[in-house]
Amino acid sequence: MSDIGAARQDLIAALGANAVLDDPLARKLYARDASLVEGGCALVALPSSTQEVVACLKAAADHGLPVVPRGSGTGLAGAATPIGDALVVATTKMNRILEIRPQDRLAWVEPGVINLDLSNALEPHGFTFAPDPSSQQTSTIGGNVNTNAGGPHCLAYGVTSAHVLALDVAMPGAAIERFGSEGPEAAGYDLRGVLVGSEGTLGIVVAACVRLTPLPPGVRTMLLDFESVEDCAATVSDIIARGVVPAALEMMDHGIVVAAENFAHAGYPTDAAAILIVEVDGTASAVTAQAREVELAANANRVRTVRVAIDDAERALIWKGRKSAFGAVAQIAPHYHLHDCVVPRTKLVEVLAGVYAIARRHELIVTNVFHAGDGNLHPLLSFDRSVPGTLERVLRASEEIVRLCVEAGGALSGEHGIGLEKRDFMPLVFTDEDLAAQACVRAAFDPAGMMNPFKVLPDGARCGDFAVASAATDDAAEAAGNLPEGSWI
Amino acid sequence: MDLIHPHSIAEIADVMKAASAAESPVLIVGGRTHIDKGNPSDIQAEVWTSQLDRIIQYDPAEMLIVVEAGMRIGDLNATLAENGQEWPVDAPTDSTVGGVIAAGANSPRRLKVGHVRDTVVEMDLVTGDGRHIRSGARTAKNVTGYDLHRLAVGSLGTLGVIAQVALKLRPLPKARRTLMVPGQMSIGDRLLAEVPGPSAIVATAGGIEVRLEGWPEEIEEQTEATRSVAQGSRSRDDAEFPSVEPWAGSPVIVEAAVPPSRLADLAAVAGNRWGALLGVGLMWVGLEHREGALQDLRSRAEELGGIAPVIRGSGGLGDSEISARTVHRRLKARLDPAGVLAPGRFWGGI
Repeated sequence: MSDIGAARQDLIAALGANAVLDDPLARKLYARDASLVEGGCALVALPSSTQEVVACLKAAADHGLPVVPRGSGTGLAGAATPIGDALVVATTKMNRILEIRPQDRLAWVEPGVINLDLSNALEPHGFTFAPDPSSQQTSTIGGNVNTNAGGPHCLAYGVTSAHVLALDVAMPGAAIERFGSEGPEAAGYDLRGVLVGSEGTLGIVVAACVRLTPLPPGVRTMLLDFESVEDCAATVSDIIARGVVPAALEMMDHGIVVAAENFAHAGYPTDAAAILIVEVDGTASAVTAQAREVELAANANRVRTVRVAIDDAERALIWKGRKSAFGAVAQIAPHYHLHDCVVPRTKLVEVLAGVYAIARRHELIVTNVFHAGDGNLHPLLSFDRSVPGTLERVLRASEEIVRLCVEAGGALSGEHGIGLEKRDFMPLVFTDEDLAAQACVRAAFDPAGMMNPFKVLPDGARCGDFAVASAATDDAAEAAGNLPEGSWI
Repeated sequence: MDLIHPHSIAEIADVMKAASAAESPVLIVGGRTHIDKGNPSDIQAEVWTSQLDRIIQYDPAEMLIVVEAGMRIGDLNATLAENGQEWPVDAPTDSTVGGVIAAGANSPRRLKVGHVRDTVVEMDLVTGDGRHIRSGARTAKNVTGYDLHRLAVGSLGTLGVIAQVALKLRPLPKARRTLMVPGQMSIGDRLLAEVPGPSAIVATAGGIEVRLEGWPEEIEEQTEATRSVAQGSRSRDDAEFPSVEPWAGSPVIVEAAVPPSRLADLAAVAGNRWGALLGVGLMWVGLEHREGALQDLRSRAEELGGIAPVIRGSGGLGDSEISARTVHRRLKARLDPAGVLAPGRFWGGI
């Protein structure tokens, strides 16, 4: 059984009273992330140092509390939603950039550093941190590492995993280990690669060594608009077929274009069926060459207009519309459920048509804004939760969308992760044997099962005598059993 | 020594079940081109993947290919080149896809193309006790579950048999050029700062090679930038790269890895048969069979925050500490419970 009072006392002794919260408001605030599921927690700790993170893990282990690591809580899959008598360890106060070493093309940062703050700090050195999730003004590097975050520019530059050289991790047993290396190779298995994207289930990142990407000398941002979704999607494939891998290749459908334009006034053509934002970068001549190929591909697919950003201000405006799209949908309805699945790029048209059909059948409004170049869809269902029966329709539609993507040869998530939202869908893409092996990876790091239980793997995934959900407290197990029907949204 | 040639994933699974039951240690063999990498291991049989060499799925528009692990790099490259694409590993044509991945082999173009680990998006792996496990997906991007395949990359066949993989591809560059720049490693920093987007900058004791790949007009622009830093450079279009490999003929080749700014310090103890990937931190060093030279290089690499395993000839991986030894041990015990996959070959005696 967990002893919350004793854990609280140990935490206050180690972190100070101001860094340990257990009042009802704090517990409510930290009871969820940006997903729709609300959980609950017993305590919230806000460590300021590696030693304090270790103290959190020790207090949790000594007194039987599961630990839920948390950054800014912008995750959309419920990975940071605590359940039962959990101790939430939010690393947001650990927000120092420790060192920037341009000669080694690396920087060491604490987990609470905000993604955009890091890129801004790197800019004077001529570098950037390539992953740029839409949440980049808020989300932390620790969160980005734990979700293996993507973003528009991951098409050419790769997702977070390709930009993390090493991680210092506080392990569930309270030891500190370094995974990876400042150099290009490290001794041992690539445990760094497993930690990236592990959704807080293996340990707590206390420092990250990130790879710096040189800023490209030239950039061109183009906005292409089409009279049909099919032409727009076909242009995506044609650009790739021409041997061009743009820095970003983003698609927005009519509904989201209208919402984003009302909000950001980016000059988007609100009568278009769909638009593409294409960004190419490199040397001046590489930019020109790629832009030429993009225009040829677009013309072959009946593009209506090609707008080229003439300066940084116009470029920023085009991106503002894209990056604020998820805020802009508040005009449509008070609640939204943002999906994330990834399909083969050549299946985009067919899957999109399926998504529209599903929404129609369930009488829901769906809009789409997504990383088309990666085949990474983000159907966005807008609804009003207060209308009886609506949430149920959203749930049913969402499940159908997941199945549609899987049937098209896709995966459950391209960048948001599994968390609580999709753990019960894991058997759609993995066998029992696959899931057992994944449970073994988890057990190798956390044999006691204290790190973020109930996340990622479905109940029953076992590794020998280690079962994913069994190690948590009885109370927590009960709480998980009582999750609302369809708690995966 | 038994040589076993399975023809399918199911046959690999049978072979591994039998090996585990008999506690008979085996070595997984691809094209033998990276076979020297690793510590000595007493084995009783070799399992060859050469019969698993089919293309399972290839749609160029997806920029992904699914192949069996025994496919030869030469065959793979030929198929991909017909479609204007490449899997950018630059391994010998006799190497197999599985071997390149298991060895975690590095391309001299790593500055541009990255690590092989970021190109493997899905894997079918047969564990030491014959279980068939799949992880990842055939998509450009994916965060569904734990990436077991990442453990197999560079594992030297000690966690499982890589049977089939989905690989992320790149478009072949439209034009290529190598610029031979006279001078020492010290001008490398200026080249890195001034030349936009090179595929590689390789320093040797005799000079520097800058590799440029891309659109024809782009490499002209990069050539100009290179010449503004270093006059007197000669250019070769479409030549083999690197054109000079001073380390290549040596009986022992070490692949040292240090933070990029420390390559010059390492070169000071590397003799003169070396090549360094500037901006990356890799250095290939050719040595005679002299224990002393290898030990000196290893000590220095470790002082500089790196490692120095041998990739050709004898000498093993070295005794650098691995992190989280218990996590390593547990993973090995779960994926190869009888310990039959090349015992002792990996770092830390695993």
